[in-house]
Amino acid sequence: MAYSEYWNPKNETLPREELQALQLLKLRRLCEWAYATTPFHQRRFDAAGFKPEQLQTLDDIRRIPFMTREEWMDSQIEKPLYGDLLATDQTNAIRYHLTSGTTGRTPIRVLDSMKDWEWINEMWCYGIWGFGVRPEDIVYFAFGYGSFIGFWGAHYACEKIGALVIPGGAQTTEGRIKQIIEMGVTTVCSTPTYALHMAQKAREMGIDIAKEGKINKVILSGEPAGSIPAVKHTLEEAWGAKCGDTAGMTEVGTIMIFECSHQPGGTHIIEDHFIEEVLNPFTDEPVGYGELGERVVTSFGRGFIPVIRYRTKDMVMRVPASTCTCGRTWDIYDGGIRGRWDDMKLIRGTNVYPRAVEAIIREYNAIDEFQIYIWRREDLQDEITIRVEITPEYDSEWETMQQKLHKDLSNAHEGLRFNIELMEHGDLPRFELKAKRLVDARPKAQY
Amino acid sequence: MNTNTGATDLLGKPLTEQEQVLLDAYQTLKSLAARDDLPPCAARNVRKALASMWQATNDLDLQFEQLYEVGV
Repeated sequence: MAYSEYWNPKNETLPREELQALQLLKLRRLCEWAYATTPFHQRRFDAAGFKPEQLQTLDDIRRIPFMTREEWMDSQIEKPLYGDLLATDQTNAIRYHLTSGTTGRTPIRVLDSMKDWEWINEMWCYGIWGFGVRPEDIVYFAFGYGSFIGFWGAHYACEKIGALVIPGGAQTTEGRIKQIIEMGVTTVCSTPTYALHMAQKAREMGIDIAKEGKINKVILSGEPAGSIPAVKHTLEEAWGAKCGDTAGMTEVGTIMIFECSHQPGGTHIIEDHFIEEVLNPFTDEPVGYGELGERVVTSFGRGFIPVIRYRTKDMVMRVPASTCTCGRTWDIYDGGIRGRWDDMKLIRGTNVYPRAVEAIIREYNAIDEFQIYIWRREDLQDEITIRVEITPEYDSEWETMQQKLHKDLSNAHEGLRFNIELMEHGDLPRFELKAKRLVDARPKAQY
Repeated sequence: MNTNTGATDLLGKPLTEQEQVLLDAYQTLKSLAARDDLPPCAARNVRKALASMWQATNDLDLQFEQLYEVGV
């Protein structure tokens, strides 16, 4: 059967002037909605002297104050569980998800209504269809299905597309590989590091997954590596399949960008559902095509928690839509999400803020010094190790303390496994001025 | 079939015949969701259908609104 190349041919090929007119109309309505229903936005708009009717052109977006993760978290802390960000009654929600916070144990918590949740998977449909998934495909999710939003939306998107969906769930890697082969899976959804790990594990099992499997597409998310050419090349060879990058965030609930089947070396922005600004992170001025900047996102989807001019700290480089041959009029982030402007680290798809880790470690009086050491195991899997020194009188309590610390850190990071290593007293560096307790020993990405 | 029906989308473009049918279906579901005399099997499935139809009509720029007042 012949299918359209686009999920939504009307908007994916909309001339840019019309696209911008649509964005302006949606932006004005979104701001009116947020101002009328959400104390969080009312307060911020009033403080900035902004009124939705001031939005006469798309450039007027700069009148809207930025929204930050810190403000969001402060609001939640002040008024648990959701702060004053909800635009409607909690009883309208059907879904709860969270992502690890910037500080301590408080996560960012989000709610979605039936329509919002459907929209979340709709955005995945744009990306998954755009990369070539069709009703005939058999899609495997190498995903644990927890409170972390991860591939949840992609799962429902594939059901909507009409593909056969196999939820990997809590299985061993060996079990997953056997199922992928046995079920004739054509598409695998995974983080890049786990996709590399599965390919290596298959080799150890004596399986050449590129030859013995039927996989022709691997859809990647959760880490920037999906757009790093060297990683992508390794993955494509190992799986014998095309690998496509996507990126999303819990704050908006879904993906904002995806790589189409033409693989332009970057990811298209879903511009009929998002406004993505790229700004100089130090001056807040817009940067041009081909310049690195910080992405600032406005989402027209989830109305439950309006996200308007949210500073993501993601480092991106925008290039024109014409860079790709697919015919979409949607601009591209060359190289996807290239990194961070802050100190957040992505470990196997989970956000880790060193400040949040430190806040938990500081609850342990026995820990005298520590270091957060991030490294890559066998060039494949990202690991985080907390190296600690304890004051000698607590030596006998170490075993119990280690278990508790392990649990506390994991619970604050969506179940992420932390390694904990006890160091000899005096091994770790001490700091008199600005402490450098974070060591990221992973190789730098080359674009 | 792409016959103009007289109505317009969010950008002021005339609706095609298929867009008009989709928009009518959406409005019908919205009206049904606002009723309080439907049995649970109808009331909840109408909401589920409305949540889906919101996507189609929103993607095609036929409407951009919230549906929380009918629990969707």
